Amino acid sequence: MQYSQKVLDHFMRPHNVGQMENPDAVATEGSPSCGDQVTIYLKINPDTLVIEDASFLSYGCASNIATASIITDLIKGKTLEEAKKVTWRDAMEALDGLPPVKVHCSVLAADTVQTAISNYEIAHGLKEVPDFGKETIIEELKKIIYPQVGEDIVSLKMVKYVGFDDGNVLIDMNMMSFDQWRENVAQEIREHLEKYPAVKNIQINFP
Amino acid sequence: MKSGNIYMDNCITTPPAPEVLVEMKTYLTDGFWFPASFISTGESTAEAVASFKQTVADSLNASPDELHFTSGGTLANNISIKGVTLSRAVRGRHVICSVVDYPDLLTNAAFLEKIGFDVSYLEPDAQGWVSPQQLKDAIRDDTVLFMTTIVNHVVGTIQPMREYRDVLRAAGHKIHFHADACQAYGKLPLDVKELDVDTLSVSAHKIHGPQGVGALYVKRGTKLEQVIHGVKRIDGLQPGGIGIALMAGFAKAVELTFADLEGGIRHLRGLSDYLLEQLEARIPEIELNGPRGEGRACHNINVSIAYIEGEAVTMMLDLNGITVATGSACASQGLKPSYVLLAMGKNHVQSHGSIKFTLSRYNTREEVDFVVEKLAEITAELRSRSPLYKSTHPEER
Repeated sequence: MQYSQKVLDHFMRPHNVGQMENPDAVATEGSPSCGDQVTIYLKINPDTLVIEDASFLSYGCASNIATASIITDLIKGKTLEEAKKVTWRDAMEALDGLPPVKVHCSVLAADTVQTAISNYEIAHGLKEVPDFGKETIIEELKKIIYPQVGEDIVSLKMVKYVGFDDGNVLIDMNMMSFDQWRENVAQEIREHLEKYPAVKNIQINFP
Repeated sequence: MKSGNIYMDNCITTPPAPEVLVEMKTYLTDGFWFPASFISTGESTAEAVASFKQTVADSLNASPDELHFTSGGTLANNISIKGVTLSRAVRGRHVICSVVDYPDLLTNAAFLEKIGFDVSYLEPDAQGWVSPQQLKDAIRDDTVLFMTTIVNHVVGTIQPMREYRDVLRAAGHKIHFHADACQAYGKLPLDVKELDVDTLSVSAHKIHGPQGVGALYVKRGTKLEQVIHGVKRIDGLQPGGIGIALMAGFAKAVELTFADLEGGIRHLRGLSDYLLEQLEARIPEIELNGPRGEGRACHNINVSIAYIEGEAVTMMLDLNGITVATGSACASQGLKPSYVLLAMGKNHVQSHGSIKFTLSRYNTREEVDFVVEKLAEITAELRSRSPLYKSTHPEER
């Protein structure tokens, strides 16, 4: 599958690209050592909690840049509550789809928006810093895309068991020994969980 | 400014030469017969195939009886590697290659491990060069095969073939020497007698011949176990049909390339030197991957552009009618960065931002100028979007 015309348009002429002066919320996700990196800037009206402006920077591929472009379009003018419901699936739909192997590059931009919103809410006392636990792990696993089909590993029932005890994460995966994506998926799981200070050790088991 | 198609990904495959297509057409219509027949049609094809074989053999300083047509370089590598290890398995089960070899060799090595062979993988230095000393140290009493890729497919590093030869000659017992010459063929002179290889593979479509045909040189007296079985049409090592038109096209491509090999090499060297010079002059913070100058094949330039991602670069070049390759994980089907660059000690960022240009005799200086100009524009555009660039260049906000 090729990129859609919409993806190419947003890649070649992205909307909302650039660093923002005095943003109300910022988040950077991803890391150049393992792949793409995205920074999202938000301008938020403190009274109405409406996102009045959004922009991004991306060290990433065409799929990543196009998603950052369209998702910043999608959240502009929305309240934080509304924007929290905007997912990578919405962005992908608005882009007329993505090749399955490129979906994982697109999730990063959507995640970064959510992190920026969360950062704002925590900074302004709108929510507590959430406790790290099994739920957090499952939420993170939902962001990991199985490249073969472009769906997340939780929806695809590839995660058999998740456990968390005293800093130790235990994940049992349901992936065949000949699956070429095992290594990719395991690495992504580590990258997603290692950023939490509560996580000391991650064990991923395959059958 | 000029637009249209500029093709600089010749290490994957090359456009067939027009003369090759003309030559092939004859054998797709009148001369389509297989040679294994005593009637006149079969005889005339047999003569034609013999002359194609002579042409390809001459280009390697081999005899025609040492030259076997195959359905491409990968087939040639498989017939050789599996054939020699199977025929020598009773004598020893140790094989040596390097981690930067072409996937044909590495996947065969993985297969050999699976069936009980032991494989030693030599490591490259920062330029992709695998030292003869490492080979010497890796040799054991039960070593039966050393295989190498003469020109690296990612960074163009030319391996020290003569030094390998000397190490193998000095070993206490016979070790089969197999060379994958698909990237080297037509880019540097190859003389199988001087290299003293036992088997060597080449491919037609890397030198403007048709896709789907290659050849395996097998030194006289070398025993290869039969790994493909079937009816003999053209060659004993690869039974079944091999297109007569493909062999005809291959021979024509060889004729064109080897009519003036030195001139061809000079042209490519001049052009790639110019490309590198222009890239370094026009694009700040760019770094060459692999060796500079004579240690590198004449058609390959591989650079890492800091702060930006290779798939985005190749997409933008593509929209400008320019085809190049990248080592970015985002552009690979397996979502993995280039194993060659990582083995050379480059990090993910350098692999992520790597762009590979592989030139052919059809590329011109004007094309190089256009490509560099577009790449400079694209680099500036993508850097303006990059958080890595912004955080390291705050003055350019």
